[in-house]
Amino acid sequence: MKKILVIDDEQPTLKMFTLLLEAMGFSVLTAEDGRAGVDVFRDERPDIVFTDIKMPVMDGIEVLRNIKEINPHAEVIVITGHGDMELAIQALNLDATDFINKPVQRQALSQALQRAEERLALSRTEQTQVSLEEEKDKAVLHLRGNVTGLTGTFLQSSFSRAAALGHGCIELRFDENASINGAGITTLTDLLGDFREKGGRVLITGLSENFRTVFDMVGITRLAEFGDGSH
Amino acid sequence: MVRRFERASLKNKLMLSMLVGILLISATIAFIARWILVSSLTNELEQRGAAIAHSVAERGGSCILDNDIPRLLSLIFDERRLHERKKLVSYIVIEDQHGKVLAHTMTRRLPPAVLAHELPQDLRQSIQLVDLDGEAVYDIAAGINEGLYRIGTVHVGLNKSHIDSLVSKLRVAFLGFISGVVVIAFFLSNRLSRNITKPIRDLTAIADEISRGNFDIPIEASAPDDGWDFSDCPAYPNSDLPCWHFDLSHTERPDRMPEEYRNCRRCVFYSKREGDEVTQLADSFRNMVWSIRLYRHRLRESEEKYRSLFDSGPDPIFVVDCESGRVMDANPRVEELYGYSRDELRLMSYTSLAPENYQECLDHFDDGGGCIYFPKAIHYKRGQAPFFVNMHACPISYRGRHAIIVAVTDITEMIEKDAQLIQAGKMKSLGEMSAGIAHELNQPLNAIKMGSEYLMMVEETGQDIPARQRLEVVAEISAQVDRASGIINTLRSFGRQADLVTEKVDINGPVRAVLSLLRRQFELDNIRFRLDLPEGLPAIKAHGNRLQQVVFNLVTNARDAINDGSDPGDKAGERVIFIRTQASGGSVRLEVGDTGPGMTEEVRGKVFEPFFTTKEAGQGMGLGLAISYGIVKDYGGEVQIESEPGAGTVFRLVFPAA
Repeated sequence: MKKILVIDDEQPTLKMFTLLLEAMGFSVLTAEDGRAGVDVFRDERPDIVFTDIKMPVMDGIEVLRNIKEINPHAEVIVITGHGDMELAIQALNLDATDFINKPVQRQALSQALQRAEERLALSRTEQTQVSLEEEKDKAVLHLRGNVTGLTGTFLQSSFSRAAALGHGCIELRFDENASINGAGITTLTDLLGDFREKGGRVLITGLSENFRTVFDMVGITRLAEFGDGSH
Repeated sequence: MVRRFERASLKNKLMLSMLVGILLISATIAFIARWILVSSLTNELEQRGAAIAHSVAERGGSCILDNDIPRLLSLIFDERRLHERKKLVSYIVIEDQHGKVLAHTMTRRLPPAVLAHELPQDLRQSIQLVDLDGEAVYDIAAGINEGLYRIGTVHVGLNKSHIDSLVSKLRVAFLGFISGVVVIAFFLSNRLSRNITKPIRDLTAIADEISRGNFDIPIEASAPDDGWDFSDCPAYPNSDLPCWHFDLSHTERPDRMPEEYRNCRRCVFYSKREGDEVTQLADSFRNMVWSIRLYRHRLRESEEKYRSLFDSGPDPIFVVDCESGRVMDANPRVEELYGYSRDELRLMSYTSLAPENYQECLDHFDDGGGCIYFPKAIHYKRGQAPFFVNMHACPISYRGRHAIIVAVTDITEMIEKDAQLIQAGKMKSLGEMSAGIAHELNQPLNAIKMGSEYLMMVEETGQDIPARQRLEVVAEISAQVDRASGIINTLRSFGRQADLVTEKVDINGPVRAVLSLLRRQFELDNIRFRLDLPEGLPAIKAHGNRLQQVVFNLVTNARDAINDGSDPGDKAGERVIFIRTQASGGSVRLEVGDTGPGMTEEVRGKVFEPFFTTKEAGQGMGLGLAISYGIVKDYGGEVQIESEPGAGTVFRLVFPAA
């Protein structure tokens, strides 16, 4: 039974999270502010952390920073107000693995949980996160798990190899569970920009709704076409 | 009699006095002269009679001794007929010592009355008035003596009527003389008094003409032979020139301030000629008439000026009678603005146009107050359409009645603009708040969403949960819906445009409303609120949602000040906004303080100026406090600031309790 820590200053929200997550079969820890949340994390080492970003005393960004100091591989999902993308990206830059919008939908919650669990499984198996294959008219880059600054160099070399195949079209096929942080996004933006200048096409498929929104925000959508992922 | 004399004209008085004086003097002289003349004439005649008697006695003595009666007779006849004596002497009678008549000149029988008059022995002569057959005669008896002995008596009768006729001639002469004197005196005094009183009569006639309003009459008594001309007066053509400007005493005493000149001591324009009192009077009169003319002229000009101001001024002006409250006069702008004709207005009561403030106005004037100003009063046009005015009222005397002059400025447009500005400011505040409000609304929505998702999931998966838990979730959902609608209601009341009419507001209401929207947002910024909002404060007359805007503005300014002083992440800086309300002595106070860096005196003096801002460019318009100040002023309140650099800031709003 996986332990989940929920940090939010809203008592009703905590109550509902507890009910939902317990009904989904997790054991739930709660904290009403960031500082208490970090303490609980340190003591309990939960698998997944949900934290609200806007909180008094210690906000979610600070919580994220503290938790990442304790455990850089912790799965931290930030809860943002709807359309509050700046904060979401800021959180991604601090290696939040995912974000979820308030009001929290069951579907989005279960997807986020699913992705987190998959990533947890991945990081344990330490599978390669970027792989290249060639299809008949394009190069396909598979992306799994967490695309971070750590995978940046690997992503760059893979991308150059894909470009070298000379199809003029590269598909970035994200896994369901894939998440991408700020450094990853920066790397990707540079790569796509260069490739586009050379006259190449990029197709992005399989990206979760959340990250599509992020890509919209940072302008990657202007550099690439989005597919529905059905290939 | 005396009163009649007093009522008589000066001319008649003069004349009468002169006449009476002259008459008294001449009559006295006449009587004295007559008395002296008549008595001396009578005396003289008697003397003459006595002399005749004595001369007869002298010459007749020998005849009596000789008893020569014929000689005696011829003697007395001669004496009687001598010259003009025959008119005077009526008879001569000689009797002897025994009283026997020796001779007489009578042609008739001797009347006994003559003989009844006897001369006593010791007297030389005696005079007695005797009646001679109806004729009064002075009988002079003189003794005829020979040596020591009396030998007879001579009686000479003097005709009294002759004497009387002489005397009456004298009298007539005197009476004629006196009459002549009187006539001459009458004419003289008449002329004299007329000459004296003529200038006065002329001046009276002129004064009468002036009282009738006719100023264009020459003052004959002072024909301007000294080159004096009205048009030379510099104050005449230019009514803006103060008249005392031409007072020569100003040059004599330059240390005096012009304010002291209410009266000119020596006008440069007035002239006095050498001459008698009448001339002096005429000159004074001329100067006086000129002064009246000058001031009438200036008065008319000024009246025309003000009348034209009244008629053509840009603002409506009423003249209202204090007692009846009726409109006595109104200028054309009133007709335009209020939509009534002047005749209609004259029949109207002022209070039907402006029900507010009238009584207050009257009370104020009764206490001896001067002009009074009512901002933002509500007046009514035709059809009872309300509009806003600023109103000045001053007490005046109009046609002899106590009246109020009311000048009105239509500020409806300004009020509308004001309301629009306030509304715009509110919209801006709402914009600033939107992120916070979205966050605030998101919390209950999130709880509702998750609660309902939970219930759905439980239904779909067929999990068995305790009924208590289900109830708890549903109750929570319901509570969160209430919370969300509370936020929406607050927003709605904040965004609503205020009515024109103020309501009674508990000052804590707007504070709580604003806090419900901002509190969490501020706490996310690590700003704490310290509240002291006691219950049961007196209400104030205001608009709740405008006050919300004021509070919002003060609170957000406090937040910005705190953020200027320290960062949200600072553990050191105290980040507190305290809000206190209290009531004291008929006023209600609201204090909003912060622990920010405070203000310098220079900034403190400017904070209420529009477009003054201490924020960085693009961060603030600098209208918030200006609008807030206007709103507070509208409710008769004031704003005080306590601030020192480094010691935070307190804004204190003081409202009069309703």
